Amino acid sequence: MDFTVQDAQDSTEIRLHGRMTFSDHDTFRSVIAAFERPAGHRMVFDLSGLEFVDSSGLGMFIIARDTAQKKSLDFAMRGARDDVHRLITVAKLHKMFTIDA
Amino acid sequence: MEEARRDAPASLYGLDLGIPLGDRRVLIADDSRYNRRTLSRFLHWAGIRRIDVAASGPELLDTIESVQPDLLLIDETLPPIGGVALCRVLRGDPRWRDLPILMQSARQTDQIRTLCFQAGATDLLAKPVNPGECVARVRYHLERRSMVQELRAFRDRVERDLRQARAMQLALVPDPAWLETMAARHALRVESVFQTSDEIGGDVWTAFEIDRSRLGVFVADLSGHGIASAINAFRLHTLLTRLPREDRAEPARLLGLLNQRLADILTVGQFATAFCGIVDRDADTLTYAAAGAPSPLLGSRGGFRVLDSSGLPLGAFAGAVYETRSTPLLPGDTLFLCSDGLTEARDGSGAMLGEEGLADLVERAVRAAPERPFPWLMARFAERFGTALADDLTALWIERDAG
Repeated sequence: MDFTVQDAQDSTEIRLHGRMTFSDHDTFRSVIAAFERPAGHRMVFDLSGLEFVDSSGLGMFIIARDTAQKKSLDFAMRGARDDVHRLITVAKLHKMFTIDA
Repeated sequence: MEEARRDAPASLYGLDLGIPLGDRRVLIADDSRYNRRTLSRFLHWAGIRRIDVAASGPELLDTIESVQPDLLLIDETLPPIGGVALCRVLRGDPRWRDLPILMQSARQTDQIRTLCFQAGATDLLAKPVNPGECVARVRYHLERRSMVQELRAFRDRVERDLRQARAMQLALVPDPAWLETMAARHALRVESVFQTSDEIGGDVWTAFEIDRSRLGVFVADLSGHGIASAINAFRLHTLLTRLPREDRAEPARLLGLLNQRLADILTVGQFATAFCGIVDRDADTLTYAAAGAPSPLLGSRGGFRVLDSSGLPLGAFAGAVYETRSTPLLPGDTLFLCSDGLTEARDGSGAMLGEEGLADLVERAVRAAPERPFPWLMARFAERFGTALADDLTALWIERDAG
């Protein structure tokens, strides 16, 4: 998995690319490092470039959500497609996460 | 031991010697008494205290077994057959295959040096031997040997531990004899595959009897794999076996209770996907609840269809509520359950089996081997995806006897 970070005034967009699996824990730590923002800041995961996530990848979404809550950040995901969308739906994560259209 | 102790400086040229080598044993094979004493003195400077000597090839072969040296210093002209031939003899014996052998030689042609290496010498020392170089080379090879031995001991210990853990994990899933009895009592045929990608893994499944007409089956996959998810699989199994029978009789209630307890103990980002189903042969139903497991397949006369297995994974969100669903399961019908190790397996070209691919494979299995589709299915799976798994794999074929 690769990622890019784009900062705006009140929000940060993180675009995730490729396959997000068990072996991406170290990369994901760098993603989480981008959550060092002031309270109220909005963090958005853009998943449109993700081809696949496994259950470890879902765990990383949950870690991101938890990190955002602890830092009082606003956290949302958007753009999941195909297998990624299916897996999020099966795990009902859309019920627990803010999903942007 | 030769008298190497006298007037030895603490270290040669005041150099730092590195790790202590006092317990290392070096065997010197040289026919010259003068050379043996000189080398012994050098070794002593290298911090080596246990030095043994041999004056000929036969003497070396006689003593090496009892000495068990960590390093051997052989003179290239050692009588009667010479150091090179002796080196070949030693390397032919598995006991001395890894032993560092330093050959000292007065002949410095490239051809001689190459011969020594070809015969299995680890390194060469030019004669006359310089003390600094001798100390450095001996220490280098002893330290390297120490590290390799440490790594090997560590690997052996971990392998032993993992073998034991693996046996414990395999004992978590139902005992085949018990399962057969239970299946017969409920007029079912149950076949299973349970494999881990590493020595141990995060899949777990079990079956439990509720009463004479109802048999429950529970399949879970802890996120991640390896030791951490195996520990969580054991925790989940323990929680499950502690639940009283009345809680197990109701799948959504069972998942809710497990979720609550797992949410307390798992770290953020860890969870289990799970499926729990109860086969009721009096009511001809399958009652089930799921927590984000791969979709189960239910086969009846009309073919296979996918059951809804959506649900929040266990342990991820405290307070999650699950839904019990029910569907007819008639005599002759089949329930196929698996972990994502099956659906997410990738073949040589990187293509994933996927849920559609799995459904297709199951249909083909039933057509190709109507009597025993499951072994056929798993054989085709192994053909395409190999047996070296990237993830843990559980698959269950549960078929009601035809009425």
